[in-house]
Amino acid sequence: MQQHSNEINLEQHGAVTLFSIKGDITSFSEPFLSEAYQSASTQGVDKILLKIDKEAYINSGGIAALIQILAQSKRNNQNIAITGVSDHFKKIFGMVGITRFADIHETVENALEVMS
Amino acid sequence: MNDRTIEVNLVNQLGYERIAMACSASFARLMGLPPERIEDLKTMVSEAAINAMEHGNKGRPDARVTVSLNCQDNTINVTVSDEGDGITNFPPKPDIEKIIEDLESPVGFGLFLIKQLADQVEFNKEANGGHVVKMAIKMNS
Repeated sequence: MQQHSNEINLEQHGAVTLFSIKGDITSFSEPFLSEAYQSASTQGVDKILLKIDKEAYINSGGIAALIQILAQSKRNNQNIAITGVSDHFKKIFGMVGITRFADIHETVENALEVMS
Repeated sequence: MNDRTIEVNLVNQLGYERIAMACSASFARLMGLPPERIEDLKTMVSEAAINAMEHGNKGRPDARVTVSLNCQDNTINVTVSDEGDGITNFPPKPDIEKIIEDLESPVGFGLFLIKQLADQVEFNKEANGGHVVKMAIKMNS
């Protein structure tokens, strides 16, 4: 069976570091998210935007992995937001409380405008 | 089984729940469930199947998970069966504030989402061994 992996590209947009996350978000995403976060944090970022594919499948394992990133960003006093998720997963993120720790923006442009 | 029942028998491996999700979505579409509730159904099936694989079947590669759906009395009923002993201790509702503060582990989200999205949920031991989660989603909820 195909091994799950996420390709995560980091781009700088002024003060905001954009994480473009390709692929589904599951428990298998944890090491990829963690590595990208560590890589960005060592460069002293304080604003992070997670861009998730609109078609991405996100399960409870992926939610737990995202929450670990939110926890680290809170400890490091970083501002973190999310964009790109489908309406269904916006609802799911609200149910589990992710929206208490990260704003969800409709588009990257929207997010960058608010975060800059 | 009748023409309003389908059944999928899955390999006990994470990732295979996607097959049950796709079948559930196709079935629900045929039955006329609204698109938003189809997405809810997919998440319910996904989380129940993952729990069955990881906790019910304890990751055993030789075990199977069976997902069946039927439509009766304006309700889509889903059962997800595994070969385990059932849940004895239900995890508490996950508290994201405590998880963020590292006071709790990030567990229990699957069960939480099932309970939030389904109109009804039951957890039962099967008479001939194994465990089944029964979920219902009303066509007009």
